[in-house]
Amino acid sequence: MAEAKSDRFKIYSIAIVVFLAIISILYYISAPVYLYIVAYMWFGFIFGILQQYGRFCFASAWRDLIMVKVPRMFVGIMVGMMTFSIIAVFIFTYYPERYHTSQLGLHGLIGGLLFGLGMVFAGGCATGSLYKTGEGNMISLVVLLALSFSQAIFAVTVFDSIFERFIQSLPSFSMVELLFGKPAGVPEGTTYHVQYGDYSFWQHMFADAGINAILIGVILLIGVYIIVVRKGFLKRRAATMAASADGGEVKMGFKDELAGFWHMISSSKRTSIAAILIGIAAATMVFSLGWMAKHYDFNNFGNVLVAKPASAGSNTVSSTLPASQGWPDKTYPSDVAVRSSSTVFDPGYWYITTQEAMAAAWSIKAVGLDSQPADGSPGYLENNHYFGDYNGLPVPWHSPALLLSFGLILGASFRALRAREFKWKFPTKELFIYAVIGGTLMGIGARIALGCNIGAFYAPAAFGDPSGWVFFIGMGIGAYLAAKFVNFTANRKMADMDFDIEL
Amino acid sequence: MKFNKKDDGSYELDVTGYVCPHPQLYTLKSLEKMKDGMILEVLVDNPSSVESINQACNGKGYTILETNSPKAGVTAITIQK
Repeated sequence: MAEAKSDRFKIYSIAIVVFLAIISILYYISAPVYLYIVAYMWFGFIFGILQQYGRFCFASAWRDLIMVKVPRMFVGIMVGMMTFSIIAVFIFTYYPERYHTSQLGLHGLIGGLLFGLGMVFAGGCATGSLYKTGEGNMISLVVLLALSFSQAIFAVTVFDSIFERFIQSLPSFSMVELLFGKPAGVPEGTTYHVQYGDYSFWQHMFADAGINAILIGVILLIGVYIIVVRKGFLKRRAATMAASADGGEVKMGFKDELAGFWHMISSSKRTSIAAILIGIAAATMVFSLGWMAKHYDFNNFGNVLVAKPASAGSNTVSSTLPASQGWPDKTYPSDVAVRSSSTVFDPGYWYITTQEAMAAAWSIKAVGLDSQPADGSPGYLENNHYFGDYNGLPVPWHSPALLLSFGLILGASFRALRAREFKWKFPTKELFIYAVIGGTLMGIGARIALGCNIGAFYAPAAFGDPSGWVFFIGMGIGAYLAAKFVNFTANRKMADMDFDIEL
Repeated sequence: MKFNKKDDGSYELDVTGYVCPHPQLYTLKSLEKMKDGMILEVLVDNPSSVESINQACNGKGYTILETNSPKAGVTAITIQK
């Protein structure tokens, strides 16, 4: 019986790969340039496998550290982010146009706090909920739906006023700019927008990877070792050493501290291996997409949808099809941001929440709930900065990053099936409430912070953008408060139970 | 969630159906109520919780006696306090 189920699981896992291969071929037949969004899908598939294997979830990083004193995920995230940061410097040297920084301000802290609260209530972060959905966990699917629709509603209602009043004019800068100032030859006081190529490779390596990612990451890891791991480790080590020394005096020194630190790093091989591979995959994704965009001659995938090659310049829609080979015969002007004409959400790196907000808003539009004025101007769904100016509301199969989310779910399903860990799980009333509240808080938090645990922390921190750490601090405060609440409710629940333990 | 006595000094905690952080939280809280040497078998169907329970037990000095999969998607962890 168990073997029959195991065989079925293997067949389903193979079916997933065949299904994705068929989708890839259909995209390619439609237009070779679509390999760009197919690449998003396959990178999502890889992230899904690695996340499921390493149980990679940012909620776990903070929550388990606070609630059950388990640092494995916190360690994993730092290791992955530091790996990513080193490779990212190499990649941006070749594709500097793929690099950008986010505004640094209080919105990151507030958004991070709401996101941190939400992810602990929801039982998973934005990307964690995707991979858990792939494991058959329908509670995580409820989280994703709440996350997607809360973002969409927030984006079309209050996002513009918050963005214009509090965020738009805030400074954005990278660590290299902070440490080395404006590049040589640019007079002080000018509003020159710093480019990645304005600094040398080693300046980026020192400031962006060395200081912003690795130094801060190592300091945090040392902090976690001292606060959470050190006491227990040294106590156990002293007991072991005393036993082997026949009760003689045992002194702990720096060597033992290093052993304890290494024990913390290596205690979950599964998480550490996954973290390093995720870092490498995330960097390879930036490189691959950068290469493909250059190869097919576009800056943003929206260019392809309206047939405007990168070499044609910015913001005007070309009336002629591009000379570049491999572009589609048709144009899809309704799939790009209506107020800027030629862009669609195409981050070029691992990103999670925005594409889901777009899918939710698109579904609202698809069922006819967008009231488009008779003069042809955008309806309420697109008459805003978020969808109208930056991201657009493409059909899901033209939304590059949504293909990543789709691939991630199926990658996690693939791995869970192979490991016999796939199991359909449906929410109880209690877990449903937690999922809706958690998902909604994460959605609102992600929009205020202009990103989630990946787009507002993992990627920026690795890219040398200090704004990532502001979000990280907010996320930690939110997770701490939520963990205290969940612990309180768990204690109440346990108090009501009859444990019948004979002590 | 079900907590049952299996034998003298041996208990079972069934947290199948729960998602993070509940399985690891209830496991540790149950172990806190138990005496040193007692055994707890935890049934869990949330893969990430399995990893956290193992790590938390190592950190607390509890011994993982056995981990197996009685059926697809479910893990049984036997812990001695």
